[in-house]
Amino acid sequence: MLAVGAGGALSGCGNDDAGTGVRVAPSGSAPASAPRSGTGEKTTDTKTLWLGDSIAGVEAPALGAALKAGGVEFKNASSDGGGTVVEGDKMSMPIARSTWKALGRDIASFRPDVIAYQITTYDWGTAQQQRASYEKLAKTARDAGAELVLVSAPPYKVDDFYKKYAGAIKSAPKAAEEVADASGGTVHFYDASALWGTDGAAAKAQRSSDGIHSCQQGSAAFAKWFTERLGKQYGFTPAAPDQWAKDPWVGDRRYAKLGCG
Amino acid sequence: MSTTDRDLRRTGARDAVSTTDRVHLAPLDGLRGLAVTAVLLFHAGQLRGGFLGVDLFFVLSGFLITGLLLGEIGKRNRIGLAAFWGRRARRLLPALIVMGVAVLLLAWAFGSPALLALALDDAPWAAAQAVNWHFVAEQVGYWNASDTRLFAHLWSIAVEWQFYLLWPLVVAVIARGRRGQRRVAVLAVAGALVSLTRMIHFGNAVDTTRAYEGTDTRAFALLLGAAVATEPVRRLFAGVPRAVADALCALLVCGLVASWALTDGQHAPGLFQGGLFLHSATAAVLIALLAGVPQGRTGQVVGSAVPRRLGEISYSLYLWHWPVYLLLPEKTLGFGGWARTAVLIGLSLGAAELSKRVVEDPVRFRARWATGGRGLVALAAAAVVLAGVWAAIPQPQLGAGTVDLDRLMAP
Repeated sequence: MLAVGAGGALSGCGNDDAGTGVRVAPSGSAPASAPRSGTGEKTTDTKTLWLGDSIAGVEAPALGAALKAGGVEFKNASSDGGGTVVEGDKMSMPIARSTWKALGRDIASFRPDVIAYQITTYDWGTAQQQRASYEKLAKTARDAGAELVLVSAPPYKVDDFYKKYAGAIKSAPKAAEEVADASGGTVHFYDASALWGTDGAAAKAQRSSDGIHSCQQGSAAFAKWFTERLGKQYGFTPAAPDQWAKDPWVGDRRYAKLGCG
Repeated sequence: MSTTDRDLRRTGARDAVSTTDRVHLAPLDGLRGLAVTAVLLFHAGQLRGGFLGVDLFFVLSGFLITGLLLGEIGKRNRIGLAAFWGRRARRLLPALIVMGVAVLLLAWAFGSPALLALALDDAPWAAAQAVNWHFVAEQVGYWNASDTRLFAHLWSIAVEWQFYLLWPLVVAVIARGRRGQRRVAVLAVAGALVSLTRMIHFGNAVDTTRAYEGTDTRAFALLLGAAVATEPVRRLFAGVPRAVADALCALLVCGLVASWALTDGQHAPGLFQGGLFLHSATAAVLIALLAGVPQGRTGQVVGSAVPRRLGEISYSLYLWHWPVYLLLPEKTLGFGGWARTAVLIGLSLGAAELSKRVVEDPVRFRARWATGGRGLVALAAAAVVLAGVWAAIPQPQLGAGTVDLDRLMAP
């Protein structure tokens, strides 16, 4: 993760929003939506479809509250124990098939302006397979009239289950960044190490006792970080955290399952 | 886990099975004692493969229940299904209901909001004996969420209940007439193989709750137990010379215990690709052999006082241990390791003994009101009490104070 973050900062393509990990679209490439301003203003052209695995899933309640407080429509389409789009090895392939099927339905029903995909813990495959899958996702977004935002996963505990996939876990954000760089501005890569750091065991990573997911505080931190980046990208002012951070979402059962309180 | 020698004697079911059953139940009670010990140690973090004890419970249940059913059909050429289910309910439900009510109240008094909220969520499913499917839907394995669910262990009780509801119907239909027991044996083995394919199929998923807690995926253990209870299979094993059978029993007991010690948790390689099936098959062969030489050396050791006594209280011990473990985490006790394990097992034994003496045995052996129509009324009244307690406990406020705005706003 550290190498990927550094790679992003040194890359010559696009402009890195120093210190935030956000790869802003190159100049000349207009964002899919017109700029908006004003907290709470109703916007309909940054409708955000949120994809990912259960790590994205525990971020979703906070993210949904933050975006909705800012007038941005949001749909959580993350999947527990799945959510990958990478058509890679025999383990990830069936998961990816199910993700693609669900994505088609979500695009048809929700008609998003932004498809945001947080790289999952199941993006298992070669770097080439990862790139091909992210490119397929970018094309799917383009065909649906939406832009694609790829977000790197937070650092997490690579336990026995993940150990054999360590190579794929490491290569995925790099592949995502390469796809964004080559997209001509329709795909954006947000390097979340700016928020979480690169050490899953460090306090900055804000992992729950399972070492993988975030509790309410971490999810709120992600929601604040992500909506700020999205707002900058698409020209809306995110709602202040005091408008959404203590919403009922903190009582979501997912956090209870994680023993978060 | 649920049928004991005394149970059979007092309910009058003993006369429905062959005379040899009386003696070989002692080592089977002992096996149940070993199984519950393995589970207790596993949940305390002291025995990585101790979860396999549940598998042994399943095989034993399949064997004992099928033995009873076949015995009854042999004697009366029919199975009194209502009476069978009545005996199961009288044996299993009182302790379960009392534990459920007590645990909800304890969680309300001492548990964290998350522990109470999830217990309130799970209780209706546990009461309906379908909590395993609820946990499959909830992906508890994926979330590694058992530590937050006071009724997490009841998935296996639900699997057994579902078996008790379905299997007697099947046996009642196919076991009658000539070669009835042969048909039961063939169907049980065929069903076990189908069940194995289901487990292999679901065992490849990221979340293995479906493979681990599904009734269909775990059915092979119950069905292999059922198969070895049939006359043709028992005759087959009866042909093994006593000395050889006794030596094999010793070997198989050692094999099972070794597998509990060596299996590296529920993510052990091959577990869902035949590993659990192999364990079930080993247990089934052991039970079949022990049934033939109950007074051999192995039978005497396994059926000796301590394991047998543990086996006799294994049901209530199983019911109580997990809530005790969760309500007394290391943080609350102030110490961990073997000291905590000893305290937790001691308290669980106390609760189990109390449950047996105050709840289970009186209802089974002394309460006339617990039989027939009055028994149904008593069961309905107990269910009302459980539902009342469940409804009266207020839902805890989850997540209060979990987000620190100042920290969130800090640069």
